[in-house]
Amino acid sequence: MGRRVIKRNNQNAQTDDNNFNTYLTSSLKENLDSIQKMLGNPVDLVIRNFYFAKHACAIIYIDGLSNKQQIEENVLRELERLEQSDQTAELNTSNLLAIIHEQLISISSIKNVDTMDKLSLGLLSGSSVLLLDGVERVLLLETKEWESRAIQEPVSEALIRGPREGFVENLNTNIVLIRRQIRDPNLHFKEYDIGRRSKKKLVLAYISGIIHPELLKEVKKRLSSIDTDDAMESGYIEQWIEDSFLSPFPQIFNSERPDKAASALIKGKFIILLDGTPFVLIAPTEIGGAFKSPEDYYERWLISSLIRVLRYLAAFITMFLPALYIALVSYHQGMIPSQLAFSIASTREGVPFPAFVEAVLMGVTMELLREAGARLPKTIGQTIGIVGGLVIGEAAVSAGVVSPIMVIVVALTAVASFTIPMYSVAISFRMVRFGFMAAAAFLGLYGIILAYIMVNIHIVNLKSFGVPYSTPYAPTFISDWKDLVLRMPAPMLGRRPEYLQTKDKISAKKRRSK
Amino acid sequence: MMYQFKYADDKISDNELMITIPSITIGVGVLSLPSLIAEDTIGSDGWIPIISAGVFFVALAWLIVKVASMYPNQPFISFASVLLSKPIATVLTILLALQGFFITAFVLRIIADLAKEYLFDRTPVEVISLCFLLVVSYAVSGSRVGLFRLNMMFFPIIIFIIVFVGIFSINWYDASNFLPVFQTDFRGYLNASRNSLFSLTGLFVLFFYTSLVRKPDKAPKKAVYGMTMVSIFYIFIYFMCIGVFGYAGTANVNYPIVEIAKEVEIPGGVFERFDSIFFVIWIMAVFNTVTMAFDSSLYALKSVFNLKKIHYILFLTPVLFFVAMIPKDVIDVREFGDFVSLYGLVITTLTAIVLFTIASVKKKVSSEANTSKRRNSKS
Repeated sequence: MGRRVIKRNNQNAQTDDNNFNTYLTSSLKENLDSIQKMLGNPVDLVIRNFYFAKHACAIIYIDGLSNKQQIEENVLRELERLEQSDQTAELNTSNLLAIIHEQLISISSIKNVDTMDKLSLGLLSGSSVLLLDGVERVLLLETKEWESRAIQEPVSEALIRGPREGFVENLNTNIVLIRRQIRDPNLHFKEYDIGRRSKKKLVLAYISGIIHPELLKEVKKRLSSIDTDDAMESGYIEQWIEDSFLSPFPQIFNSERPDKAASALIKGKFIILLDGTPFVLIAPTEIGGAFKSPEDYYERWLISSLIRVLRYLAAFITMFLPALYIALVSYHQGMIPSQLAFSIASTREGVPFPAFVEAVLMGVTMELLREAGARLPKTIGQTIGIVGGLVIGEAAVSAGVVSPIMVIVVALTAVASFTIPMYSVAISFRMVRFGFMAAAAFLGLYGIILAYIMVNIHIVNLKSFGVPYSTPYAPTFISDWKDLVLRMPAPMLGRRPEYLQTKDKISAKKRRSK
Repeated sequence: MMYQFKYADDKISDNELMITIPSITIGVGVLSLPSLIAEDTIGSDGWIPIISAGVFFVALAWLIVKVASMYPNQPFISFASVLLSKPIATVLTILLALQGFFITAFVLRIIADLAKEYLFDRTPVEVISLCFLLVVSYAVSGSRVGLFRLNMMFFPIIIFIIVFVGIFSINWYDASNFLPVFQTDFRGYLNASRNSLFSLTGLFVLFFYTSLVRKPDKAPKKAVYGMTMVSIFYIFIYFMCIGVFGYAGTANVNYPIVEIAKEVEIPGGVFERFDSIFFVIWIMAVFNTVTMAFDSSLYALKSVFNLKKIHYILFLTPVLFFVAMIPKDVIDVREFGDFVSLYGLVITTLTAIVLFTIASVKKKVSSEANTSKRRNSKS
């Protein structure tokens, strides 16, 4: 009996090399040969041949992806025990596989497959494969185990108060971390295989009693539209499913924190986890969300509200301060208080460049320092900070390249931009800042306000999975303003965000004590 | 086609319609209004013409929205065709579109003149108004609901800045400036009322936008609220100017409210010349006026000739620019402004009254027919 080819669509199949969509044969040797041929005789493929009830068998697995001890103790030894018991008396090739399937209790999950395709996916995901001579099917035994990083504190989102655990690269661990936060049976995880070649597991998580059904339909549609060889990281998925790739603002947020992901789920959002990355995606998002940190809910409301106001101020400084400097110095000197105007003028005396060039120069330098600091190991990163901040800043001023006021402006901008909890949004703000600077150089304050209006036009037209990015400012939901710039006391935040139009609207209610 | 949430479709809420009214009316007119009124009135009598103009416009706003909401979710041209016949409706639509066009061109010119006066003296008017026009074109080429959201976002900022100026100029108020009262003659009231009427035009957009409201039955009430807000706002500004400058002083400056802003001193002296800041913020108010006017004009034209919106924008933007640049000096601009206001006032009022009369007559006739039918069927 030769190989049966179930699908040979010439338009779709790329080459014969890539088409493993074939059935297995009944010959053990032939199967093993074709597996080895398919994988290209890999060094890490382990093949263990043995006889079980006088049938030629083989168990194969990839060294390093499977737990060797488990295979020895729970598979081989169990099979040995099974053979010695009386049950094997009436065994023949037809029911052998079914008996093993039933009797091998010590393996938690066993799959019975019959195509090369499924076999290779299982084998390469860490399962071990049990083949039997004379049977056209094989068993995939769940024996996955590989080295992975322990749960650590999330590096990119440090908090003063809050849980210290962060997501890791292992998908199952990440799911567990979310399950431990929410024990609702309505918490659903839907699995996707992403990547034609990488075949990574992607999991969409949501709470089905809360999330708007149409939103769910939309995200499922978009996820199934992904067709790529490799899903490198969740950021890559983000770019496949976002609403507008032209926008400078991220329409999907990411996080390393299980508590943040869980609170997003409870609010009626969905999250996307991808195997191999600690960053999960959270959507739909709105611009106000960029200013919210999980810590806001852990601290008392007054502190959180003040800190949020501070963050809004920081966003203003990040975007507008260099532009305002340019506009005031080059167009509206009259607006600067006269004392300050004199001191600025005197420090700018020797500076050969117009304010715009000065600002761009320092702005780019700051971005360079940030990038260099991020790339280098932590110990050298500090050196970069000293060299950049002190030496270059000081030297640039004393050499007369830039004015000291400019150094203050740039430093303030940098510090302010790092206070925004969403790093990707902070980058967007810093990017937009250069646009404001150009507008200020061209038309002064008038240019700044026109640029600001343009950013607003863009934001009101932007959507994240159909949810307007400018909500709850506009479309206005006054009840959502309780958790926007200010964070009202916890008992007052009893409703889920209205802009998400969740099925279940109430999330908390203050009970009267009896 | 991407799914969109309920509030993200082409409909607007009744509150958004309410905010549309201050957005279109509050613009450049209010900056010079106190001075125009103070020219013809004595003491603080100016509030009488403002209130009378306000009452007139509140009634007009109610009338327009009422007649438009009698035919829920129908665009202007379709219900006007039912009431007046198709050709007349088409002509009316084009006339109303022209008003939007004129308002846009006029405001474009004024904003450039103002920017020249308060922000820079060397930059040519053409550059200033062209930049503004381009931003407006960008806005109207986006989604229409986006414009209403912009109104919602900018409106609080505009209110805030006026209140801010009002509070921080409190040192300059002089109670004696409000005296004497009721000394103005009838002629003065009449002139002042005319000027107030002129600065309140813009209600024509309601003819078009009422059809976008999700709950049309609530719309007339909200329109009344919106217009009342504008009237209160105007009176507030008027009293601010009179309180600081007195009526003679107010009459002598072109833009008294900006002059007050000039006097504002922020504690700590972070900024001097607050008028520039005030004016820059005020550009948002002006921007809302222009986008509403331009967009409703596009909406009207699109209902008559079925072309793509972007084609209209590409064609109208240069034309608008040239029309805005036609007036040569201040007197020309003022005449242009008077023409725009008068044109708008006449066309809006006439359309509203005619449509409302016919609509209510028709309704009465049909309800009588219904009752007689019912009577017949009963007997």
